[in-house]
Amino acid sequence: MRILERAAGVAQAAELYQELREGVEVSFRGGEIERVGAREVLGRALRVIVDGKLGFASTAGEEEEALVEAALASARYGDPAPFSFPELRCDDAAQVLDGEVLKIPPEELISWGEEAVRAIREEFPDVIVDAHLWRGKITVRLSNTSGGELSEARSSLSMGVEAQWIREGDIYLVWVSRTVRRREDLDPQVLIAEVLRYLRWGERVVPAPQGRPPVLLVPKGTLVLLLPLMVGFSGMSVALGTSPLKGKIGEQVFDPRFTLVDDGHLPFAPGSRSFDDEGVPTGRLPLAEGGVVKNFFYDLRAAALAKAEPTGSGIRGGFFRGSGFRSPPSPGLRNTVIQPGEGTLDGLIAGMKEGLIVADVLGLGQGNIQSGAFSNNVSTGFAVKDGRVIGRVKNTMIAGNSYEVLKDGLREIGGEPEWVYGLAHVPALLVEGVSVVTR
Amino acid sequence: MKANLQEALRNASADYAEIRWEVLERSRVAFQRDQLLALEHSREAGGVVRALVEGAWGMAVFTDPDQIPTKLAEAAELARAAARKVRNPIRLAEVQPVEDKFIPQLAQDFREIPLEEKRKLAERYNQVILNYSPQIVSSTVRYTDTLRHVYYANSEGTYLQQLIPDVTVLLLAVARKNGDIQQAFESIGEAAGYEVALDLEERAEAAARRAVELLSAKQVKGGKYTVILDQELAGVFIHEAFGHICEADFLLKNEPMRKVMQLGRRFGVEQLNVVEDGYIPGRRGNAPYDDEGVPRRKVYLIKDGVLTGLMHSRATAAATGMGPTGNARAVSWEHEPIVRMRNTYIEPGEASFEELLKGIDYGVYAKGAFGGQTEFEQFTFSAQYAYEIRGGEVGDMLRDVVLTGNVFDTLRNIERLGKDFQLKGGAGGCGKGGQSPLPVTDGAPHVRIRDVVIGGK
Repeated sequence: MRILERAAGVAQAAELYQELREGVEVSFRGGEIERVGAREVLGRALRVIVDGKLGFASTAGEEEEALVEAALASARYGDPAPFSFPELRCDDAAQVLDGEVLKIPPEELISWGEEAVRAIREEFPDVIVDAHLWRGKITVRLSNTSGGELSEARSSLSMGVEAQWIREGDIYLVWVSRTVRRREDLDPQVLIAEVLRYLRWGERVVPAPQGRPPVLLVPKGTLVLLLPLMVGFSGMSVALGTSPLKGKIGEQVFDPRFTLVDDGHLPFAPGSRSFDDEGVPTGRLPLAEGGVVKNFFYDLRAAALAKAEPTGSGIRGGFFRGSGFRSPPSPGLRNTVIQPGEGTLDGLIAGMKEGLIVADVLGLGQGNIQSGAFSNNVSTGFAVKDGRVIGRVKNTMIAGNSYEVLKDGLREIGGEPEWVYGLAHVPALLVEGVSVVTR
Repeated sequence: MKANLQEALRNASADYAEIRWEVLERSRVAFQRDQLLALEHSREAGGVVRALVEGAWGMAVFTDPDQIPTKLAEAAELARAAARKVRNPIRLAEVQPVEDKFIPQLAQDFREIPLEEKRKLAERYNQVILNYSPQIVSSTVRYTDTLRHVYYANSEGTYLQQLIPDVTVLLLAVARKNGDIQQAFESIGEAAGYEVALDLEERAEAAARRAVELLSAKQVKGGKYTVILDQELAGVFIHEAFGHICEADFLLKNEPMRKVMQLGRRFGVEQLNVVEDGYIPGRRGNAPYDDEGVPRRKVYLIKDGVLTGLMHSRATAAATGMGPTGNARAVSWEHEPIVRMRNTYIEPGEASFEELLKGIDYGVYAKGAFGGQTEFEQFTFSAQYAYEIRGGEVGDMLRDVVLTGNVFDTLRNIERLGKDFQLKGGAGGCGKGGQSPLPVTDGAPHVRIRDVVIGGK
């Protein structure tokens, strides 16, 4: 704790965040193993408050003295800290570590990749298969001058399979991935089955239904609607006045069947953690219940600005948690859960007379998502006629407004939620009010 | 450093090994509305080693420099585990070993500018945006500078030391009228000194003005149009839609795609030339040497409408029998080099802007890039803003313009190229294989394309 002590000698308050990322990754290209890699990266970030002003610095593999100096220099020119560091305590630990994950040898990850290649090429010999696997853990350690110290090791295991089916004049790509914390939650066979299903559905190219057909968003496609909400429910958007949900707590903004919860404590869920990256305990945070706006999610800063309580949502590394220790905390999501309805995917499809299934899109987040607008190229999508998938669509765009669709266009919520990008647990959504344009 | 790295490599038990150790110095200032969200000058260091054993790669990423020999051994061990499963061993194209140093001269070294001054600069731009109109409700102004100091050594005797500067400024305005929220931004990104970040007040104001204008812009109607792309958007198009499929790593074990991307195949009109260049003074896509120690080569991807080149790493060059081009780049010490773009552009044609407009009865003039993504032949990218073209003249402003299509069809549908060429490095970067944002530059003249699908209601 020398860094914190040194900083505290000058600053009135200080906070040290450390993360150690360790693990093994395996990559397959063109159906063959290409690379096995190991990772052991220690990153640190120091926040200080000097004369009431906030400073920040981060480092990897550098001298402690440099980190302290850099944070103090930042505080010299910084702005008043709108918050103080919380006392660090955690009475309610989340389940986030599975020792079994850490025991998986590289050879076993390789064998999962080989199995994916084998199973897919057995049915589709011409399909090119790439795969990426990772197992490891991140150990987070947090201490500050308000007292206390927290640390937690979180395991993670992921598998992604990409299938490329290339024929003259037509390239079809399917990408399916899972990120979990517990070994038993990743079944390579389930993932492979999903790839195969999309390949079978996509054998034939058919015209997309035009105009405003019913659209069935299956898990990754759901992000089209969810992403604008993730921005809209952010306490920072609310504090800055850019969220269309500002001032709407208690209002019926969505369909009464729509319930959205961000839960930091779901056992072994990919985004679970006992405390956020500022040391605030996480928990279950309902964002919308029965279509009524309930809460926004806040880190320390956004909470202070909005005069609200922090919700354990201070996440480092940006929206998709990519850059880790380098970014100061900002409001982020842990596990975003849309409460499932009933009915199977097959049942939802069977109930569609004519429509479009959207399984993946290009350009997620492009366009004016603050206002709820989305406009995306359907990269993996299928046409449905008389309750049956009749083939894949190409050169098709969907567009609409997430808030409008989730208020007036929600026809059915599926009952089989799946994890998407290790961020959200979402069922299939059958919606109306999405415009479909095709060439 | 040199002796340490070479000593470690001498003891590596691999067919080929390399070490890249990087020291990064970065500053960052970020405002969102009145909130100073980042103010930082930090240093970090870390390394990556790769070992090639019997045709498979092993790799290790680490932050403790004392661990270099251990990590090399670990990488070799992992490579051996992979090698047992390899059927088509990876080979590396021959490259002449080289010892060199690349240290660019910065007109105004950003390391000598106090953090306070950088803060004031960003704050000034932020004020320009926020004070523009009561309809401006928020802003994001971000300044970054980075000096990437790369030490590279491989077991063939190459030793390189490169200093890679990068300065970016993002000026983004958010306007609101009732429930409607619109945003617009201007950005710069250069491999240069602090000087390029100065005097951007007019750009800040332009972003604010546009965000406000977009509040009363017409929504584009979805459909198929003849479109003129401005230089920035055309640059993003050539990068996203075409550049990525010319990265030879994805052709490596992909026979069908290799057939599609046959050299000599016609991809566009006679006038179409597409270039990929590793060094243009001051451009942020520059890689004098790539992260495999390969010197840069300028490549014509398309010459006179015909595919004439691809981008390579040493492995893809060996597999295809072509020469390495210096395109193996890593976004940082946390990653291996993969085949990436540098400065990618469409060469200018001869038409004036008026000539491009001529004959378009009803079309769309799309300007500025908001974002883009590609999946092989399919691409999508969004314009920041656009205008109607009516009877050959630029008309009312349009919003929510997202273009999509098939790259091969779209390249064939290019009708004319303007003569008003521009190169641009933005404040973002390119993402691929989990590595983002990599500094790149795109460029193009105005480009007219028929039959482009635009999404919308």
